[in-house]
Amino acid sequence: MRDTLVFATVLLPFFAAVLAFLARGAAPRKLLVVATALILFAASACLVATGPFTLEASPVFEALVTVGDFALLGIIVFLGLRLKNQLVVWLSLGQIAGLAFLDFALVDHAATAPAFYVDDLSLVMVAIISMIGSLIGVYALGYMKVHEEHLHLEKSRQPRFFFFILLFLGAMNGLVLADSLSWMYFFWEITTLCSFFLIAHDGTDIARKNAERALWMNVVGGAAFVLGLILLQKGAQTLSLQALLAVAPEVSAGGLLVVPLFLLVFAGFTKAAQAPFQSWLTGAMVAPTPVSALLHSSTMVKAGVYLIVRLAPLFVGTYLSALVALFGAFCFLATAAMAVGQSNGKKILAYSTISNLALIIACAGINTPAAITAAVMLIIFHAVSKALLFMCVGSIEQRIGSRDIEDMRGLSQVMPRTAVLAAIGIMTMMLPPFGMLLAKWMAIESASAQFLVVTMLALGSALTVLFWARWAGMLFSAPFGRGTPEEQPPSVRLPLVILAGAAVILSLGAPFLYDSLVAPVVAMYYAAPGYAVSAGIMENASGVFWIYPLFLILGIGFALAVRAAGRIRPADVAAPYMCGAQRDVDGHPGFTGPMNQPVAATPGNAYLPRIFGEEMLGRYANVAALALVALMLGGVLW
Amino acid sequence: MVGKLVLALLAVALTPLVGGLLAGVDRRLTAWLQSRYGPPVLQPFYDVLKLLGKKKMVVNPWQALSAYVYLAAAVTSVFIFFMQGDLLLIFFVLTIGAVFLVVGALSAPSPYSQIGGQRELWQMLAYEPLLVLVFVSMAMVTGSFKITAILDHPTPLLFELPLMFIVLGYVLTIKLRKSPFDISASQHAHQEIVRGVLTEYSGPYLAMIEIAHWFEVVLVLGICSLFFATSALGVVILLAAAYFLEILIDNVMARMTWRWMLRSVLTVGLVLSLVNILWLYVA
Repeated sequence: MRDTLVFATVLLPFFAAVLAFLARGAAPRKLLVVATALILFAASACLVATGPFTLEASPVFEALVTVGDFALLGIIVFLGLRLKNQLVVWLSLGQIAGLAFLDFALVDHAATAPAFYVDDLSLVMVAIISMIGSLIGVYALGYMKVHEEHLHLEKSRQPRFFFFILLFLGAMNGLVLADSLSWMYFFWEITTLCSFFLIAHDGTDIARKNAERALWMNVVGGAAFVLGLILLQKGAQTLSLQALLAVAPEVSAGGLLVVPLFLLVFAGFTKAAQAPFQSWLTGAMVAPTPVSALLHSSTMVKAGVYLIVRLAPLFVGTYLSALVALFGAFCFLATAAMAVGQSNGKKILAYSTISNLALIIACAGINTPAAITAAVMLIIFHAVSKALLFMCVGSIEQRIGSRDIEDMRGLSQVMPRTAVLAAIGIMTMMLPPFGMLLAKWMAIESASAQFLVVTMLALGSALTVLFWARWAGMLFSAPFGRGTPEEQPPSVRLPLVILAGAAVILSLGAPFLYDSLVAPVVAMYYAAPGYAVSAGIMENASGVFWIYPLFLILGIGFALAVRAAGRIRPADVAAPYMCGAQRDVDGHPGFTGPMNQPVAATPGNAYLPRIFGEEMLGRYANVAALALVALMLGGVLW
Repeated sequence: MVGKLVLALLAVALTPLVGGLLAGVDRRLTAWLQSRYGPPVLQPFYDVLKLLGKKKMVVNPWQALSAYVYLAAAVTSVFIFFMQGDLLLIFFVLTIGAVFLVVGALSAPSPYSQIGGQRELWQMLAYEPLLVLVFVSMAMVTGSFKITAILDHPTPLLFELPLMFIVLGYVLTIKLRKSPFDISASQHAHQEIVRGVLTEYSGPYLAMIEIAHWFEVVLVLGICSLFFATSALGVVILLAAAYFLEILIDNVMARMTWRWMLRSVLTVGLVLSLVNILWLYVA
């Protein structure tokens, strides 16, 4: 049973990917993607119900992974040569040499560890990847149809597209279930390669350029990963996560293995697009929206933070941990500030993703039971809300032809449903009593002893509220009138509605979620639990969060508010105040300007590019982030 | 627990009365400072009652929703305060109200309301980090964000966190909409472009926002009182002094620009917090 479930979540998507590549025509592809999605849903649900276990794999797979490693690196070298990118070529050649050394000189293949080590953290990740990832896959069916109609392609490139999407899901599941770090590395490289091809999918110059940047940045991370593996094998004589975590107290207390741990954490930074590597993720926006949704919510970047959270107990209480917290808090602040300077909706989402990942990293660095609780909660809730927001922006862009939030003014009239769904996404990202805020509350309270960290978290949170509130306000900025009901294919509508519902319902179920999924993760790491839960109230020594009471009180308030808004009749609606010079300009509110001419009122937000612009801020942020990484390196070497 | 709940509900019910009276006294004192006679102390209640009786008018139905949510959030945060809950949670609930006030303002396509909304956002950016730092510093002294822990603390927090009280003063000034930080909406007609963030709210909705504002003022004053939680007399003196100082500052300062506010408030606030917290570590 267990091996079937692992097979269904890891290997099945690989086969489905090949079939999707071979299948011609929309109908078989639709069938294939929906069927894979359903199987992934069911299999991951069963896995979560089964609970933790370990699983041996046959030696054939061990050999396959080794061969696969070299084949993948060979492809990357080839890509590097074709792109004439020296860095990619040499770093990949270095990885080949390192892997050869590791596989043939260091690792004792007779004493192999189990292939899969399924614990509660893996289960959380598998559920996120399989469920949210599949929803994005289904959404992509409807999205890509319209996308290709816009591009007027002669021959559909969708087989290729869905090949990489499905491959991605399988690789991510493999990554989080693997016990051996060398297996994890194999899946890690697959995700690098998949993201390269998916970013380059549209084949424009900018797409190729950004894909190349994503490739070289992730190859840097891959090189750090291999070096980390070699040093880890030398230092600990094992690459098995289970074996490593079993000796975690001794490792962290003795400050052992900090150099390989630093290298692996650094690889996590590149994958999670932390400064100074944030530009690959913001550049990935050129890809079709399902790719962005996938990269940002449930896969790719979550692999980076998964690795760091996974390794957290190995460096608890060390210098490395303190600096990881500082680094995370700094990136949280810097990228939240960059999001304030953006009017491009997808860029705002991208920076907010990086910012939230940085918060997860900061939590892993703070490394207390409450902080790890916050990290896992953030991983879950961020995936749901961010996938929803990306898919909303994708649909909006296909409809209004722009991803600029200034063009989304009054969206509630053009796309009433999507506007409300997007607003739900935004509200669940930034306001209590929803899960993201619950996690942020945990993060700030657990950081309260570290002044520098908590200050940066406080500043970053305020910036976060600023850019979300502004966006939410614009969606509804419309003169009164019944909007036209919008048409959407069910494959687009359904995932949006499911995710919006999940964002709210999961928040309501946060105490249950904590008890069943998050607390066991914390229990693996620490003797003490992060929080005690009773009657929907989460409490520990430093604070208390009333989830159910808040939902109840605010829910009543919100219901009254909705009722009041619903009772507004056209007769109750006045024109906006224009100092008495009110005038209708082609159906838009405006005023009588100089020379008695009509002037339409055109509001705009202050983005302050000279303060929050990504070029201005990005440069300083990159230098500061590099300095922090250098400090980390200096500390662990010394 | 039930006793606490009843007391908290009673306190929540009394809050608008206290807030309204405070606003009335504020107006009388301001008038006195400006050598005017000023309105009756109960004038804020007359104003709000009159607004409540007006016909409902909106530019956009979302404004009605926003006004309700703003009031609901303000009431909830005061309720959590009197239930002696978590300070950071109070802060987050307060944010809901602030966000919806802005969303409502931005939902009306009028230039005044739009500018007001933007300015309100900058004000939030200025006071939010400082309020979090005030709570963090309290948690550093008492070991917890729970109000119960502060009430159990044997000495007044003011002695350990004198500079944080000044930081809270900045927050109070912004929240009370007093000069020099009455940037998004001012009580003083002479320095106002229309009514900033409140421009497009009218009638009963404006009344709800006014009541919510009373709740918020009482809440921030309540947080001030935590600095001298060991003695009732201390609380009264501290609050009276702080509030009178606010009125004085309001009357001797002009409204400044939001850029100046962001720069000065964040710089001064962060430096004061740093010094105070370093001092905690040393002492």
